[in-house]
Amino acid sequence: MTAATRVNDRLAMPLPATISEAIALEMERDPTILCIGEDIGRAGGVFGATRGLQERFGEDRVMDAPIAEMGFTGMGVGLAQAGMRPLIEIMFVDFVGVCLEQMYNAAAKVPYMSGGRQRMPVVFKTAGGCIGSAAQHSQCLWGLFAHLPGFKVVAPCSPHDHKGLMAAALRSDDPVVFIEHKALLLKKGRDFRHHPDVPDGAYTLPIGRAAVVRRGSDITLATLSATVEHALSAAEDLAEEGVSVEVIDLRSVVPLDTATVAESAGRTGRLLVVDEDYLSFGLSAELSMRVLEMLGFSALTQVERLAVPDVPIPAALTLEKAVVPGPEMIADRLRRMAKGS
Amino acid sequence: MVAMRAFDEACLEALRRKAIHGELHVGIGQEAIGAGMAEALEPEDAVVSTHRNHYHALAKGVDRRALLAEICERAAGLCQGRGGHMHPFDPSTNFSATGIVGASLPVALGYAHAFGMRGMDAVAVGITGDGGSHTGGFHEALVMAGARKLPMVVLVENNALAISVQFDDVSPTKTVAERAAAYSALGLHVDGTDVDAVADRFAEAMDHARSAGGPVIIEATCHRFRGHFEGDPEGYRSKEERQRLRETYDPITLYRQRLTTAGLFEDGALDAIQAEEKAAMKVLLSEVLDMPMPDPAGVLDYLFVEEVPA
Repeated sequence: MTAATRVNDRLAMPLPATISEAIALEMERDPTILCIGEDIGRAGGVFGATRGLQERFGEDRVMDAPIAEMGFTGMGVGLAQAGMRPLIEIMFVDFVGVCLEQMYNAAAKVPYMSGGRQRMPVVFKTAGGCIGSAAQHSQCLWGLFAHLPGFKVVAPCSPHDHKGLMAAALRSDDPVVFIEHKALLLKKGRDFRHHPDVPDGAYTLPIGRAAVVRRGSDITLATLSATVEHALSAAEDLAEEGVSVEVIDLRSVVPLDTATVAESAGRTGRLLVVDEDYLSFGLSAELSMRVLEMLGFSALTQVERLAVPDVPIPAALTLEKAVVPGPEMIADRLRRMAKGS
Repeated sequence: MVAMRAFDEACLEALRRKAIHGELHVGIGQEAIGAGMAEALEPEDAVVSTHRNHYHALAKGVDRRALLAEICERAAGLCQGRGGHMHPFDPSTNFSATGIVGASLPVALGYAHAFGMRGMDAVAVGITGDGGSHTGGFHEALVMAGARKLPMVVLVENNALAISVQFDDVSPTKTVAERAAAYSALGLHVDGTDVDAVADRFAEAMDHARSAGGPVIIEATCHRFRGHFEGDPEGYRSKEERQRLRETYDPITLYRQRLTTAGLFEDGALDAIQAEEKAAMKVLLSEVLDMPMPDPAGVLDYLFVEEVPA
């Protein structure tokens, strides 16, 4: 295969195929990895992110679960305690309401409660984000998991990061909540504005390092997941208007790479945090405060946040667009900040 | 049984001496279950227990010094003072517990699947009470264990009280064991105050699960002699009722009667055994209370294995 065909394949490849590839490479490497979830086996996942895995690795290692999230989430805890490395798929992150008990009271706390004697290598893979599915199928909830001590919380954007961070999550000895975005799962490689080359073999990225995905000098914009793509689109618009925006993909909420954001904001003097999760008690305030604590309260001229106001996600497109930060909403806020208002 | 009771009596003494500053749930009156299960447990078997877990831990072979030190919040405790009495974790004996009622069973299910995948003949024992038998986790874990014929034994300690709520008032079935049919599981019932009967029935349950027969629900009926937690005002039952239960259903008294009636032991010999266990626990407790408390400087340790990159 020539380099050119390979690149073309990656451009045509849906994001879920890259995720499935990452899981397969790790399952090949480590026989203790197994996957449990609804529709992940025979159907290959509702987005195709586990396609082909059951044929390759068998039903014991890629198990179609009944709609019993509390049961199979707790099963993940027991499997980890028994020395396995389970990946538990909660189809949509909104469904954690029925199994959060096993996640936050067991998985997240057992390593600490055991005084470090019991490791908890579990990946909770789930999909969040808005694609028009209204209040019970559109949330992000990374702020919720980040608020509860004991989880690492990852929400990548590019296919490159999905592959490297999924491998890192599966190799981690800590519980990792891996939140995909449904809108990204519907994209192919070529649809991404930011699409670094995806190596064919297995590789890991460190969990907890942000990436500067566009250099700029006037405003620092920090965000993650699908909003990175919206931010890049807004930054392109602003560039035409003479405003240079630096875009940072946080890639994880826990650990939160404050240093990278602070370094950038220290240079630009302006920070905007955009979050598709709810506004209050969330990522946008936490990151803003951490940056200010790191730089000092007089280091920045503007600190703003843009997130979903504290309402459930509505069904109608006009209403959804009014609350979820998209390219236009982000561009408007950047323009206002650039004017210094 | 006698060692188990002496252990929980030492916990009560530790509480009186203010070495335990939170809730304490002792199992006094339920010793026949802990002692009865010990014989059929193999080292590789897993036990996932409840908020009332001391006897199960001792039955699984958890070191009693480390366990008592953890209950007394000491740095040398099983979990270095991070878990406390409701959350003992001992990977070396495959023992763990949860303070959330009913949450033990999905975790046991995970052990059972791991054992099945590895082709081991180990069994996962998930323990709950009558209260936990009404939870969604109980149902979900048994659905999956039944469908996959996993080696899981669900031990239900039915003391007929979920804090104050009586089993008969809220259960749709007369017993928990009879629900086994719904999950293609074997349902067993045993008098949980009779240590010989528990040992026989529990061994039967373990054999069934170990020989690929699928999950088992074994229900052991018993009585909780003290409050749900120490300090429970027990407004839901009278002093007389509690007294009656202690006089009628004490598993140690009942077993002593059996041993003396059969002419195997005399009362004096049995008294000596009880006194010996009590004395041993007294010594152990005083040693534990001399151990240092955890250093507050380490309060953030153990949250993650891999630290946050700099």
